[in-house]
Amino acid sequence: MKHHAESLRRWQDKSANQAAFVFLLPVMLVLIIFIFYPIIDTFKISGYKWNGISASKQSIGFANWIELLTDNHFWVAFLNNIKIMILSILIQIPLGTALATFVEFGGKKTTLFKVVWFIPMLMSSVAIGFLFTYVLATNGGLISSISNLLGGPNIDLLGNPKTVLYTVIAIICWQFTPFYMVYIMAAFTNIPVEIFEASLIDGATRGQYFWRIALPLLKPALSTGAIMSIVGSLKYFDLVYVMTGGGPGTASELMATYMYKLTFKTFEMGYGSTVAGGMFILISVLAVLTFKILRHYQEDV
Amino acid sequence: MKKQLVMGIAVLAIATGVTFANGQGETTAASTKTKQEITFWNIATENPDKMIMDYTVDKYNKRTDTDYTVKEVPTQNDSYKEKIIIAMSSGQCPDMYTSWSGGPMNEYIESGFAQPLDDLVKNSDLPDKLMPAALAQASYNGHIYAIPVLNVALSGIFYNKEIFAKYNLQVPKTIGELEKDCDVLVAHGIIPFALANKTKWTGSMYFMNLAARKGGLEPFRKAVAGTGTFEDECFIYAGQKIQEWVKKGYFPEGVNSLNEDDGQARQLMYQNKAAMTCNGSWYTGNFQTDSKEFYKKIGWFAFPALEGSSADASIQIGTIGDQFISFNCTGDKLKAAFDCISHYADEDSIKLMVENGKIPPVKDVSQYLTDPVTKSILAAASKASSVQLWYDQYLPPAVAQTHLNTCQELFGLTMTPQEAAAKFEASMKEYLASK
Repeated sequence: MKHHAESLRRWQDKSANQAAFVFLLPVMLVLIIFIFYPIIDTFKISGYKWNGISASKQSIGFANWIELLTDNHFWVAFLNNIKIMILSILIQIPLGTALATFVEFGGKKTTLFKVVWFIPMLMSSVAIGFLFTYVLATNGGLISSISNLLGGPNIDLLGNPKTVLYTVIAIICWQFTPFYMVYIMAAFTNIPVEIFEASLIDGATRGQYFWRIALPLLKPALSTGAIMSIVGSLKYFDLVYVMTGGGPGTASELMATYMYKLTFKTFEMGYGSTVAGGMFILISVLAVLTFKILRHYQEDV
Repeated sequence: MKKQLVMGIAVLAIATGVTFANGQGETTAASTKTKQEITFWNIATENPDKMIMDYTVDKYNKRTDTDYTVKEVPTQNDSYKEKIIIAMSSGQCPDMYTSWSGGPMNEYIESGFAQPLDDLVKNSDLPDKLMPAALAQASYNGHIYAIPVLNVALSGIFYNKEIFAKYNLQVPKTIGELEKDCDVLVAHGIIPFALANKTKWTGSMYFMNLAARKGGLEPFRKAVAGTGTFEDECFIYAGQKIQEWVKKGYFPEGVNSLNEDDGQARQLMYQNKAAMTCNGSWYTGNFQTDSKEFYKKIGWFAFPALEGSSADASIQIGTIGDQFISFNCTGDKLKAAFDCISHYADEDSIKLMVENGKIPPVKDVSQYLTDPVTKSILAAASKASSVQLWYDQYLPPAVAQTHLNTCQELFGLTMTPQEAAAKFEASMKEYLASK
């Protein structure tokens, strides 16, 4: 009897495995065709000198990779990405948490704010890019016009290499803070109401509740948010491409805009793929590192 | 109730629109079923270019004796350049496509996406009709690979005659006189040059003209061949002049953030905030389409000579043909496509182009011109001892990008002329070494 039950269980396990395989197959296929194959192909192309259109490619081994290591342009772009990353984490996540907390504590009265604050997230980056190019235009743009009304000069935030990156970062924060707001709002709903009520009965103020109870419970959400922010800011592209094209000079160049220009503007598909590969490696390393550090930190606490 | 009525009407309108559109689609499909399609990619998304490009294609498609129909796919200028590369890399290159000749066209040819047209051209009447300089810019390694169609495009200076009259300014013959005019304008709070340099090629026009007036075309040719250098004094001079002019306020504030594609330079002209602009002669068409009234105020002069320079001041920068159509098809299809395109040199087509401010690259074009601005542009073109193709089109694409980037930094005062020249030269050297 015992023997019979065991074989039945084994059979069930086996068929469950088979079913899982059948159901996962379509996803696997899609992943392989659209994710894994392109990544491998990118690394393959990075070994060639190729203009991207001709049938003949010239294999040059690791020459592209050696060039990448000494390519100042690429490292300037990488540094810009890092600046975006740091400021994004420092601005977007705290601000998003603050907004979410305000909405959470405010109850029904703040529903309007939820909607209004979420609006930037609903617009496409390209549309936001165009919107802000007009707002920031020196000829008749909103900000320059206000400055002129007050008797000041035109304000050129996008054409000035010193300010352009920070202007772009401000707009990125405007766009993505609502995302973190919604994310943290969702995390708030995971905290059982009983905890909140119990803390109030124990005489905690709302401030104490937030700092001592809610924030530690939000930690997993915050660290996932940080990883998303890191990956997002390292591969950032669309808004910057629309607004500045990476310029003036290389002042707002990002790894992705540089890769795009190499591939499609200067006919260097081989080297462009190397940059894409470099991006892939750097982003993976940074994401994994952050993940490890955050987890380590959480286990300690 | 009222709302419902409006909604009802709207739904009805959409529904009838859809059925009507459907019906139309079916009939055209039926009548062209037996014909093969030739795809033709171009950048004519807006009038007047769109109307001109459509003209010959429509004419060809209406002819009953052809086995082919031509289908146009217009794409906006900057995305076009990317779209065509993606199409070629995936083997979906259209049968016909436009380019600006120069470096990118040579890449297309070398990659096998353009057919030599020598025999077809020889057996047609095009050699009698087209300007030789135009066919020369359509050639690579001694073979003709494209048909020049749209425009003789020179860079020159458009100016507002009313503003010039108001401040008693003369059309300058030399760069010194130009600067005097500019100083007067600055003193009266008017921007001398409207320029939107986010697009980069716009600022490059000033650089190319200044370099050509200082040193002629030899330094450029030698630098490209590797026997000279982009650190030649004429390129340094161009950089210095640009920075001097930026500092004196000859260009709008925030020049590197203004976008040419949004018409931000033209707006400055229309608002009478700026008096001049150096740009391609296609601007005549843009001005006319935007406002025929405003166009009446516009005059044109070629980039003035430099005092004390031995460089030939008749040299012009531009394209003789602007929009070159290349063919990626063979046999009968190629013949049909060529047949369609050769009609751009027909009298009706030329008249249409001229009416819309263009100067088609045909020999007898002067007899059609009545507009004083285009006449003066053509005069400069025919007087020119030679015409230098735009740097960013002529140079290999990677070097061209370096030039555009360094030039933009010159305008932003973030790079010295020497640094810009050194970077330009290094990029050229690198390209020549990899050849």
